[in-house]
Amino acid sequence: MIPGLFGNIRVIDLTTDVAGPFATKLFADYGADVIKVEPISGDISRQMGPFHEDDPHPEKSLSFLFLNCNKRGITLNLETRLGQKILRELIKDADLLIENNPPGHMEKLGLGYTDLEKINPNLVMTSITPFGQTGPYKDFSGNDLIYYAFGGQMYISGAYDREPLKHGTPQSLYLGGMVAAYSTAGALFARRALGSGQYIDLSLSEVMAADQFQTIVRYGFSGEVTRRSPKNDAGDPKGTTFNGIVPAKDGYIRLSASPPNRLYPRSGGTPWKEYADILGEPELGEQLENANNTTDRDKILLPVISDIPKFEYFHNLMTKDWNAAVVQTPEDLSNCPHLEERNYFTEIEHPVVGKIRFPGEIIRFPESPWNLRLPAPLLGQHNSVVYGEELGYSENEIVQLKQMGSI
Amino acid sequence: MQIDGMLSGVRVLDSTTNVAMPTAMHILADMGAEVIKIEGHTREEASNRDGPFQFLQHGKLGVTINLRGDGGLDLFKDLAKVSDVLVENNRAGTFQRLGLGYQELVKVNPTLIMLSNTGFGQTGPWRRYTGIGSFLELTTGVSNQTGYMDQGPRQVGGAWIDIHAAWMTVFSILAALNFRAETGKGQHIDFGMYQVGVTTLGVELLDFFSNGRNGTRMANRHPYHAPHGVYPCIGDDKWIAIAVETSEQWDSLKGIMGDPEWANSSKFSSPIERHQNQDSLDEHLKAWTITYDAYELMHLLQNSGGTASIVPNSAEIMIDPHMKARGFYEKMEHSPESGFGTRMFVGRPWKASKTPSYFRRPTPYLGEHNDTIFGELLGLNKKELGDLESANVIAEVPPKPKEKKGKTAAGGLQNLNNPGPSLENGTLAYIDADYQKRLGVEE
Repeated sequence: MIPGLFGNIRVIDLTTDVAGPFATKLFADYGADVIKVEPISGDISRQMGPFHEDDPHPEKSLSFLFLNCNKRGITLNLETRLGQKILRELIKDADLLIENNPPGHMEKLGLGYTDLEKINPNLVMTSITPFGQTGPYKDFSGNDLIYYAFGGQMYISGAYDREPLKHGTPQSLYLGGMVAAYSTAGALFARRALGSGQYIDLSLSEVMAADQFQTIVRYGFSGEVTRRSPKNDAGDPKGTTFNGIVPAKDGYIRLSASPPNRLYPRSGGTPWKEYADILGEPELGEQLENANNTTDRDKILLPVISDIPKFEYFHNLMTKDWNAAVVQTPEDLSNCPHLEERNYFTEIEHPVVGKIRFPGEIIRFPESPWNLRLPAPLLGQHNSVVYGEELGYSENEIVQLKQMGSI
Repeated sequence: MQIDGMLSGVRVLDSTTNVAMPTAMHILADMGAEVIKIEGHTREEASNRDGPFQFLQHGKLGVTINLRGDGGLDLFKDLAKVSDVLVENNRAGTFQRLGLGYQELVKVNPTLIMLSNTGFGQTGPWRRYTGIGSFLELTTGVSNQTGYMDQGPRQVGGAWIDIHAAWMTVFSILAALNFRAETGKGQHIDFGMYQVGVTTLGVELLDFFSNGRNGTRMANRHPYHAPHGVYPCIGDDKWIAIAVETSEQWDSLKGIMGDPEWANSSKFSSPIERHQNQDSLDEHLKAWTITYDAYELMHLLQNSGGTASIVPNSAEIMIDPHMKARGFYEKMEHSPESGFGTRMFVGRPWKASKTPSYFRRPTPYLGEHNDTIFGELLGLNKKELGDLESANVIAEVPPKPKEKKGKTAAGGLQNLNNPGPSLENGTLAYIDADYQKRLGVEE
């Protein structure tokens, strides 16, 4: 019986921060045995806020707790020769190795792909770096802000005359994790026909360039260089102030809505009378239809919408097969009836944090479902199991390894 | 053994439209899968062959099936029988109503992997709601934390959540293919874009559960590092992004600035002070960055241990020397009659050492591979093909695309009621007449 999609796959996870841990979480959540290898002092992301109950404790980083559930954790000092030897022993039986050290660092430790494929030709090794393993910027450093900037996403986001803008949460790192997961899963699948593993070089700044391919394709077809929102936000074709997001009675909604089956209206545009009916303001239909531009339309609509509760606006349009959107807050998501009925939230019992509510199933695979088997590991929690039972070190030897600063 | 791509030997039926799923499907094609795009030639979007369409649908074989025509459903099932994967993005329940639900299709192909992409999944009270990436940017909660500090929430440019969905769809299909290779089992994957987006806010959700925080807008700032933002440089709309995450980086930045007096003020002496006083810190930095060229400053800061980047527009990112050296953009040669010539497209943000992904063919014209797929693969003879054409189940004579100039055919990914960027309202920065020369794809 295979307990999940990746039930017979072992992953050695040398990653930190968000992108790599999210990639290995996807494998772990769907059944892979992921061994998270931390330095003796612990993964630096244990120091990343926010913390459970705002208590800055290495077992209470919410980012660490979220990204490392379903993984086992060991400590290992890769800067020592003994540590490098132990990693090679782990690699012998592993299927995947995912790491995010700067280019050249693994080679310096004697743990580059060419070294490791000699030990295990079936190994798939994926390296996640800010700018890739080659090219003039390969040694540049990066973070979420830098990927939004360099990938071109920032230049097209924000107000016309203000500084370019990124998302408020590190979306680029989650996207990097998704690309790492799919490219690695591809190499895993290809092993059967190829007869061996291979090496994958992933660049996080390229992830963001690939994400906003539209403006690049536009330039490549017409020389048109896309900028940000219109000169006057009020003339934004997507709506009005704040790039089309406007205040409703108790929050924000997206002003523009689109009618059913007209995703790409070639002519005509929005049937305003129908829209006004759905809003419960049928007398506005004709005014909206006769309005010359979005600015005039906004003058009619904004006062009306500011009196409508945000979910009422959303559901009234969506149940009529229109497209609408509501800005949900974390609290809204936590109370979302749809997520509730799809059992998205689950509970987890963590030895230090206790019982907490936890976001769960991303995608539903009926034959091999998502499940929560383990909370994020405590620092070195699985040292004795992995080094003792699995690699065959005796209790005395494990004590010695600890004294030597290797584990 | 040598194989041509990671997915060599895998056949995928692509019954999808819009942006997210066609993107996932061309990634599979670049990875070596045989992707058969099924189009309804009787539907309006069948005529869409603009620039973005050429990018989104590349690498695929194209056939036409009119599912409402007599025998259309059988033809679809015959293809499903000989395929490994089927992907569709109709509204929840549509394929069942057509008689093409997973329960029906496994009767002809017991190990079929089917992925149904919807906005909100196959179950739950919102299952019939439509889902479009740029709308889901709000509903998933991503927009709540995005925007300037003196305004409400904002969306970014482009189609957010669509590409999350594309990449997670590729992951899902590969995961299911791996599982099938181990167990012999196919399955019907319920893929809802909403849940994928919400999962990228896992930490914000835990912060709400643990600490009651409900999300704030910080523009480009970081919750605890400073400076962290975008600052003006020499020229029109030129910027530099700077992130200082350690005291060493701050000391190094001070050194590059020539150790100015303001930087040694007690207001900026520790990370906590720098974060608390970042309005003032940002003003000082702006006055310094504005005297630099953005590229020069990026090199200066990066070469001394800093974290910094230019903020390139689409032209600058396409001709950047690093991206060129990495071979991030790939040439696509279109047929002479398409009028598109040679174009540079975005490749993929990863490189595999043994089975590289690459562009295998341009977008098919409508029904281009009807004869190959229905004739050679399914074994229909000329008469049978002719009968299907007369019954309007498949397109009669594959229509060649009309003669059109690449420039006028370009368009954008027209976003619903959005007429697309223009010079007039400032959503276009400029139009570069020499773009083909600059990209090395002169006609």
